[in-house]
Amino acid sequence: MNLAFYPGCSLEGMANDYERSITAVFDKLDVKLVEIDDWTCCGATAAHSLSETMAVLLPAKNLAAAEKMGLDIVSPCANCFNRLTYSRKMILKNIYDVPWKVTGKTKIYDMTRFLAQPHMIDQIKQKVLMPLEGLRLVSYYGCQMVRPPKITGFTDYENPQTLDKIAVALGAISLDWSYKATCCGASIGIGRRDIQFNLSTRLIKKAHQAGAEAIIVSCPLCQSNLDMVQNEKGMPKIPVFYFTEMMRLAFEGEKCSIQNFRMHLTDPGRLLREKGLVK
Amino acid sequence: MKPAREKTDLDVPDQLSGPRRIIGDRGDHFLRKVEGETGADISACYQCERCTNACPVSAYMDVNPHQVIRYVQLGWREELLRTTTIWVCLSCEMCTTYCPNNVDVAKTINHLRNMAFLSKVVPAEKILAVFHKTFVNELQRFGRVNEFWLMGSLNRHPDVLKEKIKTGALKEELVLGFEMFRKGKLKLLPHRCNEMKKIREICRK
Repeated sequence: MNLAFYPGCSLEGMANDYERSITAVFDKLDVKLVEIDDWTCCGATAAHSLSETMAVLLPAKNLAAAEKMGLDIVSPCANCFNRLTYSRKMILKNIYDVPWKVTGKTKIYDMTRFLAQPHMIDQIKQKVLMPLEGLRLVSYYGCQMVRPPKITGFTDYENPQTLDKIAVALGAISLDWSYKATCCGASIGIGRRDIQFNLSTRLIKKAHQAGAEAIIVSCPLCQSNLDMVQNEKGMPKIPVFYFTEMMRLAFEGEKCSIQNFRMHLTDPGRLLREKGLVK
Repeated sequence: MKPAREKTDLDVPDQLSGPRRIIGDRGDHFLRKVEGETGADISACYQCERCTNACPVSAYMDVNPHQVIRYVQLGWREELLRTTTIWVCLSCEMCTTYCPNNVDVAKTINHLRNMAFLSKVVPAEKILAVFHKTFVNELQRFGRVNEFWLMGSLNRHPDVLKEKIKTGALKEELVLGFEMFRKGKLKLLPHRCNEMKKIREICRK
């Protein structure tokens, strides 16, 4: 099975470890990712802040390219997924003058939802070499992946389950907590550090209270926000992993070295060694 | 012609009010304009404040989300464009998701932000406004956005630079930037896409 892969800008820079773990994970699964040829930025928050038309038309190029390939799109970044789905919905209303041809045939998957389908979960269970036994995780979804439900198609937007299902399939303990889809502050830290600090700090503290040893996320911006805020004094140190990094760890077992986690600002080495997951 | 209204004790001016603040005196053309452009059913709002209660940043706003909807109904355009609300909003869509009357609050606030960019009103959160503009400029340059170049051109903007030196944020950012470079989180050379001409055309719309 082939899928058109739309990585998004973050995965080239700040979240390069996310992309590498995705490549490693999909090598083991029966799904081949084909990167969309010459993809461009989806516009993120800035484009729709400046002009609605720009936000609808920018992702159209990627949609058109994927349609030419005849494949369904999978996007690992929550915001890219949201913008692509939104754009496709608006283009199909036929009120915009789109420079590329978009018919809306292809499906757009969020990566977690693609992997949490029953047949993919079965496949993941088969490929696990070293179950992450005893690792207590909380899953954090963020805003853009689940909301607004009319666009993203999540029916369980108050208590999403996709990451939890994957975590359980990997053998980890997935804890329940109330802040699964609470905002982490997104890019507001650029202008108002205080707001972003308060929002992210609350998430880390609540995760700590829930008894989590690590957080798994699927959004590059959420990861960097939650990771960076732990630099401040008096914060509990909870490593923030991309869920694919955990999958890679479970799939590769002892072959997965600690070097794969070197891009984290909060050092995950201690936790992983304590649990005997890496040497 | 209507006689000019006499000043009474009820006309206590607060920080947002200008000289004219009589309910209904501006007609409903602003309401109809915003409703038409966003497709949001703003008239359906009955002020239950559920959007404000769901909003994670309503404590940092001077006009709360439910008040934004009311201001639109009243046609108070300038007051809205001057608020911090439209810049602080995170587009997390909590308000839209939980509205019992399906009012698209997030889209309305976003539309007001679009209006603010087109108007001459000075934005209440300057750095955030500059950030959005810089982001799109970077997008036009390469087609993809590179964090290193984005932060570089943001910090070169005189207003931002002045503000960051004053608060000492620049030094912290440089330290963090170096740490990220050391961890390999920064990609120094950006990638340029092929169909840049069409992308630039879109960005002008």
